[in-house]
Amino acid sequence: MQYRCVSCGNVWEGREWRSACPRCGEAVTGVPHPTPKPEDPEKLIQFLLSLQREKGWLPREVLQETSRRLGVPLARVYQVATFYKAFSLAPRGRNVIRVCMGTSCQVRGSQMILERISNLLGISPGETTPDLQFTLETVNCLGCCAIGPVMMVNEKYFGNLDVSQVAKILEAHR
Amino acid sequence: MARLRSLEELERLREEILKGRDPSRPFIAVNTRSACGLAAGSEEVAEGLREEMEKRGVEGKVELRRTGCNGFCQMEPVVTVYPSEVFYVNVKPEDVPELVEGMEKGKVVERLLFQDPLTGQRIERAPDLPFYRHQRKILLHLNGRIDPTRIEDYLAEGGYRALARALFQMSPEQVLEEVKKSGLRGRGGGGFPTGRKWETTRNAPGEPKYVIVNCDEGDPGAFMDRSLMEGNPHSVLEGLIIGAYAIGSHQGYIYVREEYPLAVQNVSIALEQAREHGLLGEDILGSGFDFDVEIHRGAGAFVSGESSALMTAIEGRVGEPRPKYIHTAVKGIHDKPSCLNNVETWANVPLIILNGAEWFRSLGTPGSPGTKIFSLVGKVNYTGLVEVPMGMTLRDIIFKVGGGIREGKRFKAVQTGGPSGGVIPEQHLDTPVDFDELTRLGSMMGSGGMIVMDEDTCMVDVARFYIHFLLEESCGKCIPCREGLRVLDRILTDLCAGKGREGDLRLLEEITEVMSKASLCALGTTAVNPVLSTMRYFRSEYEAHLRGECPARVCKALTAYHINPDRCQGCLLCLRNCPSGAIRGEREVVHVIEQERCTRCGICYATCPFGAVEKLSPPVVPEARYGVRVKKEGRK
Amino acid sequence: MEIDGRVVRAREGETVLQAARRAGVEIPTLCYDEELEPYGACRICMVEVERGGRTRTVASCCYPAEEGLKVRTDTPELRSLRKTLLELASLTGGPEKEGSRFWRMVREYGADPSRLLSRVGGREGECILCGLCVRTCASVTQDGVLAFAGRGVERSVALFPEKTEYCRVCGHCSKVCPTGKIPPEGPAGAFPSVYERAKPLSKSSI
Repeated sequence: MQYRCVSCGNVWEGREWRSACPRCGEAVTGVPHPTPKPEDPEKLIQFLLSLQREKGWLPREVLQETSRRLGVPLARVYQVATFYKAFSLAPRGRNVIRVCMGTSCQVRGSQMILERISNLLGISPGETTPDLQFTLETVNCLGCCAIGPVMMVNEKYFGNLDVSQVAKILEAHR
Repeated sequence: MARLRSLEELERLREEILKGRDPSRPFIAVNTRSACGLAAGSEEVAEGLREEMEKRGVEGKVELRRTGCNGFCQMEPVVTVYPSEVFYVNVKPEDVPELVEGMEKGKVVERLLFQDPLTGQRIERAPDLPFYRHQRKILLHLNGRIDPTRIEDYLAEGGYRALARALFQMSPEQVLEEVKKSGLRGRGGGGFPTGRKWETTRNAPGEPKYVIVNCDEGDPGAFMDRSLMEGNPHSVLEGLIIGAYAIGSHQGYIYVREEYPLAVQNVSIALEQAREHGLLGEDILGSGFDFDVEIHRGAGAFVSGESSALMTAIEGRVGEPRPKYIHTAVKGIHDKPSCLNNVETWANVPLIILNGAEWFRSLGTPGSPGTKIFSLVGKVNYTGLVEVPMGMTLRDIIFKVGGGIREGKRFKAVQTGGPSGGVIPEQHLDTPVDFDELTRLGSMMGSGGMIVMDEDTCMVDVARFYIHFLLEESCGKCIPCREGLRVLDRILTDLCAGKGREGDLRLLEEITEVMSKASLCALGTTAVNPVLSTMRYFRSEYEAHLRGECPARVCKALTAYHINPDRCQGCLLCLRNCPSGAIRGEREVVHVIEQERCTRCGICYATCPFGAVEKLSPPVVPEARYGVRVKKEGRK
Repeated sequence: MEIDGRVVRAREGETVLQAARRAGVEIPTLCYDEELEPYGACRICMVEVERGGRTRTVASCCYPAEEGLKVRTDTPELRSLRKTLLELASLTGGPEKEGSRFWRMVREYGADPSRLLSRVGGREGECILCGLCVRTCASVTQDGVLAFAGRGVERSVALFPEKTEYCRVCGHCSKVCPTGKIPPEGPAGAFPSVYERAKPLSKSSI
């Protein structure tokens, strides 16, 4: 089974569950890296998810290629790519920040966190910094409600957030 | 690892595993197999423990086990020492050496124990915590005890015994009958009788038949499915295989929302390990029954959690709901019979097969047997996942299990059922939690989200929040939902901004009527519940907003902050903390908030030690007077 | 089954709408086309059905005809429902185009498009998102020059840059469009390209 490090993207072959990436040593866990069989139109969404993750966004050529390989009408590829929040048709930052705006997090001040990030990076939710370092997004509940406010940067979670911690977290990801 | 080919081989493996384990041998459990544990920093604590234990040469004697979450999320990182179940909370990496030393010497580290905010008492063992004492854990029982990435842990606790019994000692019809008799109802929201759904799928013409696990948990505030899938995925998988056997399905899908990458990970590992052991795939346990599962990840759409939409998404198409006049149990994926159940529903199945329908019925109420996992969040003292028998009253859940309202404030309402549910006010707190009871009150059980609100919550703002959420998540196909939500969103936003107009309330009622009658799917028809229930129980708040007042003092446009000159002690604290520099004052001179600069963020209100900051609604502030000396009084 | 008091024989596999039409009973529709699969988006065709004492309001274009069903297609409640639905649709369906099927229906039901529009302010794009152009194009060209993009209130019909050269200007989309948005010259002028919807890079600096 192949595993992929959520931090550096390194892919390695393993039989066992690993707790550290062999390349960067990050103590974050690898993610099973399934490759969907080509020519399987049913796997459109899964295929696009892998591509989105790999490239950070879905360029036009990639969508056309997907339509060809999976035998799915191009219109449907676009329909799917624009329906789901996970996909982006425009370039996204190297780091994707997702701030949880669920009920529990709102009550605990997620709005302040969002505003702080917005001010620090100079972008609004949905936008990407011109140097392509950061994309800021909001999510309707990450499911970590008891430790709100919560945000994710790439696939790492940051809970019990205080406004004062934001700048440091962002810098660490530059 | 050779595939197990018979019941005997399974039991022999189990014996082997148990022989290799000493039940009296201590192990430390750290929650790194769940997102909130990680978010709170449990990985650093776990690494710290590993290093410290190695340094002291303890790692041979005590096992460090990485587990899923025990539900008491605000206390993460949690470290539990078994078998005594000593419960350490909010553990930081700096605490590790003392913790390990204490464990070596058999002593408990007092300062790391849970301290009850209500009594000041320190409590040592998990089962004695008020949060856990009133719970009845049959589904979450192993969360926090086993490593979900090690199938041996699950087997050691009796895992897959139910599957073996179903495959070798029961016919598919008998399994179906048992589930029907148990009265199990869907835990995803609808509360539909599970046995009946299985039967419909089984009897529907057409092959192949599909079984599906719905882990698209999109309700804001709900995370029980995440906890089960991250912390004990085998329990869900076992239930799924048993269900497939009863229905006659050989292909299953697990739909996990994209926002749960760790759940996808842990489930993938579970599937791989199950396949290795012959518990999944061809000829399961040598019984001749074939069944395998595929994971399908969501891509960020709440509406795709609706059963017909989910199936459309699995087909690789846009996850929009279809008209459900023919049940998906009859025509689902590719128009074939498909049985979709929620994560928690599937997790109940092995227990029913192992302990019997009678046992299951002995828990809960006649109309809603069994337990339910709720995510109890909001303004309670103890927040997290709670598993209680159906029939426990809302009051008991909130005040006994949840420890009552935080900071001694007054209970106002509890919101259940997510965006499809409604609010329940104080007069109904003694209602037993039960599918039908909650629906009767204008709410619903939903997936189990339970958000507790106090006097500082604005009910119009609550309705606005949910409608705005649904507006963003609506698929937009049908007119009543798409445009109806647009209208509701506009009106509610205006109300909270003090821009409500005459006739708005009647318009809300008219549009919600159309939506509930004509929408294509349940997102649209139930979207009316947050609005209707808040209007039903808190209409006066709506009327107040029309007059420009927010009684809860929440809506920024309708609330002004003002420093009471009789209470201000001129301590400069609020002034220094104001992020907008909107407060003027000096030591021992009454501070004044400059209204044009004030962003109404509430920081001064939270900071003042004298309670001198007031929230005024309507936002009419007395004229500012500068340079007034404070009235001295004793400190609070 | 019974429709508006009359006994009607339906065929196996028919919907209530199909059975009604064959019997000469008029049920209004916007997104329905007998050459295409029922879509169920406009909800105008909703009728009351009664079975075993239970009454429901359902979309007749999708609801299967059943033995013993009692259908009512024209009650005061249904008329009121249709009127409000038309007013809701007007939020994106304007400005009014003389002679178009949609606006004729708006007048016929006495709907007042400005009532909700003045309260909410819609996005008048002359499109009610009925999907007829999209579905017709897909069935005629096997692939589709037009398709839906986005979801919720961001949902709209968009043109595919790669596909516009395939448009043979067959005129089908123009014929089925109920608001008259699509001119006979084809959809190229009427709808934005799907790329005009993607989020731009922020213009601000750090």
